[in-house]
Parts: sequence; structure tokens; C-alpha cells
Amino acid sequence: MVDPVELQRLLSRVALGDRKAFRALYDATSPSLFGVAVRILNRRDRAEDVIQDAFVNVWQRASSYSDAVSRPMTWLTAIVRNRALDMLRSESARPAESLHDDENEGIHEPADERPDPLGLLERAVDEVRVRDCLGDIQGPQRQCLALAYYHGLSHSEVAARLAAPIGSVKVWIRRGLDRLKRCLEGSQ
Amino acid sequence: MNYDDPELLDRLAAEYVFGSLSSRARRRFERLRQRLPAADKAARDWESRLMPLSGSVPSERPPARVWNAIDERTGGGERRASTRPWRWLHPVWGFAFGVLAALGVVRLFPDAMPIDAIVQERGTLPQSYVGLLTDAQNNAVLLASSTRYGRILSVKRLRPFEVPSGRVAVLWALPREGAPFVVGVVPPAEKGTLALADTSEKLFFNVSQLAVSFETGVPAPGATPSPFVLTGHCVKLW
Repeated sequence: MVDPVELQRLLSRVALGDRKAFRALYDATSPSLFGVAVRILNRRDRAEDVIQDAFVNVWQRASSYSDAVSRPMTWLTAIVRNRALDMLRSESARPAESLHDDENEGIHEPADERPDPLGLLERAVDEVRVRDCLGDIQGPQRQCLALAYYHGLSHSEVAARLAAPIGSVKVWIRRGLDRLKRCLEGSQ
Repeated sequence: MNYDDPELLDRLAAEYVFGSLSSRARRRFERLRQRLPAADKAARDWESRLMPLSGSVPSERPPARVWNAIDERTGGGERRASTRPWRWLHPVWGFAFGVLAALGVVRLFPDAMPIDAIVQERGTLPQSYVGLLTDAQNNAVLLASSTRYGRILSVKRLRPFEVPSGRVAVLWALPREGAPFVVGVVPPAEKGTLALADTSEKLFFNVSQLAVSFETGVPAPGATPSPFVLTGHCVKLW
């Protein structure tokens, strides 16, 4: 994880139009942000577009960043996640569930070795603060949370994926988030 | 819906950040964030809360072409070109100076005089869109220009203007018909560029005026602008 203080310094330089700082910010943060976008969109070409748009946005909006409101990586991740989710929603149909990219034929695409969303949630469970909070959320509730967060699936898409009624999915996600919030606030 | 209910607001914010809202519901919440600070705060709180979940996603370095495109779109290529001899007479600036002359304001800015050299170099001014924005006292404050099919808008502050703390200066386009739309955030530097969502031709074809307002962030599509502090005509130069 990149030092938040250094990221704050870079962002403040970017707000002044410092291109060296912009490049340094990109180098430091784009790998984890690209990972986030790829997981949501399931396509590298789309994820590349998201990272591109997000950093153009950062260049234009860096002056609006306030460290009093959020940490740099939280701010950047929110920009990328929102852009990725918007792109996902704007596509009339969700693209094929593979990372194959027809437009970039000839460019080597590594095999899809990503962990499934539940696997990612398991890894997140290993993170210090969320461990206990996610630990006791089990079953379909846990699956719903993982599909919505990591793959950006909407209620109806989660319902279709799990072959569950949409009403149940809404309740599972809502209750899961409630439990997560109570727990995270309690552990702070 | 009763958005005064903090519990409802918190639940919507949670699902917005989590990513489970439908497209329409997302748009609705984004508009809500713009006008309701409590909604914005609830969303930010959830962004911080859920951040550790993103930490578990394996990192991947994006290919080099991504940075190259970002560099291009944010004017990096243009800036590098401008460091070469004579290249500071970039067509966009040349064109901008031309407009200043055409509008009879060049006498206010003696630094903008080398227009003759520019015209000599190019022979003509490029087809472009330009806006000269003035304040309430009719002082020329901001010059915005872009070549007709360009995707970069050059912005020059002709005189300093102060953006209130915690706000950003947002440039709006006002079509002849329809609602204003956001062009981007005015760069903080005296000269800067901003990346356009499309070519100037597509964005400005029906735009008659440009304007600047101070906003707390970049407004969502469809948002209503705060009162304009600068306005000016948007004209085609061909």
C-alpha cells in the first residue's frame, strides 16, 4: 500500500499542474486501481478506458480533493469504481464472461486466473479490521455481497446469478451491509 | 422518498457505493449527492468503510498505452511540443490570439501581439471554437479555445480570478436549446488544458454561450449550475 502522506503530497502537486507528480501518482496507484476496474468490468480493454477517464478526471479535479474528507486511495478508488460501474450499467448487455478482447487480437491476454468474488472476499477477510466483521456473514448473504462489490452486479443480476428471488437478494445485501457497518463502527 | 430520513439515506449510500443499485437508481443518487451534503457525506463514509474490500483485489499494471492516452488527453504531448523552438506558437494559442485581435481586446494584452508571426507561419487561422468570458464588469477574464475537431480545450486566464476555498470553477456550455452541460473544471494555472468528452464540433455545434460557476465538485450530468460568475459567447471561427 502506498504511503497516504506521499499520495496527498502528490495530489496537491497535481492540483498545481505538476506533470511529474501526476506521473508519479499514476505509477504508484494505477496497478491497484486497474485491478479494481478489471474485476468489475471483466474486460481489460474496458478497464483501460476506465483508468484513462479516471486519471484525466483526477488531473482536472485534483484541486477539489480534500484530505479532510477522504484518504487519497479511497478518493481514487471511488472515482475508478464509479466510472467502472457507470460503464457496466451503460452497456445494454453485460459482455461475455471472459477477458477475451476481440478488438485487440494479437495482444497476449493472460489466462483468467483471478479469484472468484467469494475468493476475494475471503482475502478481504484477512485484512485486519474487516476480518471479524465479514467472518460471521455466511451463505447466500456473503455471496451477494461478493458479487455486488467485486463484479458490480445489480440486485437483479445477483438474483439471476444465484437463481434467487430479487426480494431476497435485496434483503440479504441490505442486512449484510447493516451488519458490516455496525461491526466496522464497533471495531474502530 | 423522504430523504430527510438519515437511515434511508445511509442505506441508499451504502448500496450506491457497494455497486448494487440499478443504472437509474445510481443516477438518482448521484443527483441527490450534488444537492444534499448529507447524502454526499453518507457516500463518502461508506467509501472509507468499504475501502479494505478493494485492498484484497490483486494489482495489475496497466499497459503503457493507457498512460500515453492519459498524457495526450491532459495536454502532455502539447506541452512537450511547446518546449521546442517556435512551437510555443501552437495553433490553438495562435488561434486564441487571433480571436483576441478580432475582438479588439489585444491592445489590453501586449504580450499577445505576435499574431503576425502566427499568421505568417500558418497562413491562416485554424477552424476553431472560441469563447471569451467576461465578468460582471465586462472585463475579459477567460479565453477558451479548441480546434474544430480537437478534443482538448485550451484555457487561458487573462486576469486572475479567485476561486472560493472548497470550490472549483466549472466551465459550462449553454446550448441554444436545452440545459447547460459541464465542459470541465477550469485548470488552476494561468494557462492550461482540459480534456473534452468529445470533439469540439460535436460538443459546441449548437452552443451559443459558455459560462463559469463555482461548484463544490464536478456536477453530475443534468445538474443545475450555481449562479454564473463569468459568461461569454461561444463562436465558430471559420
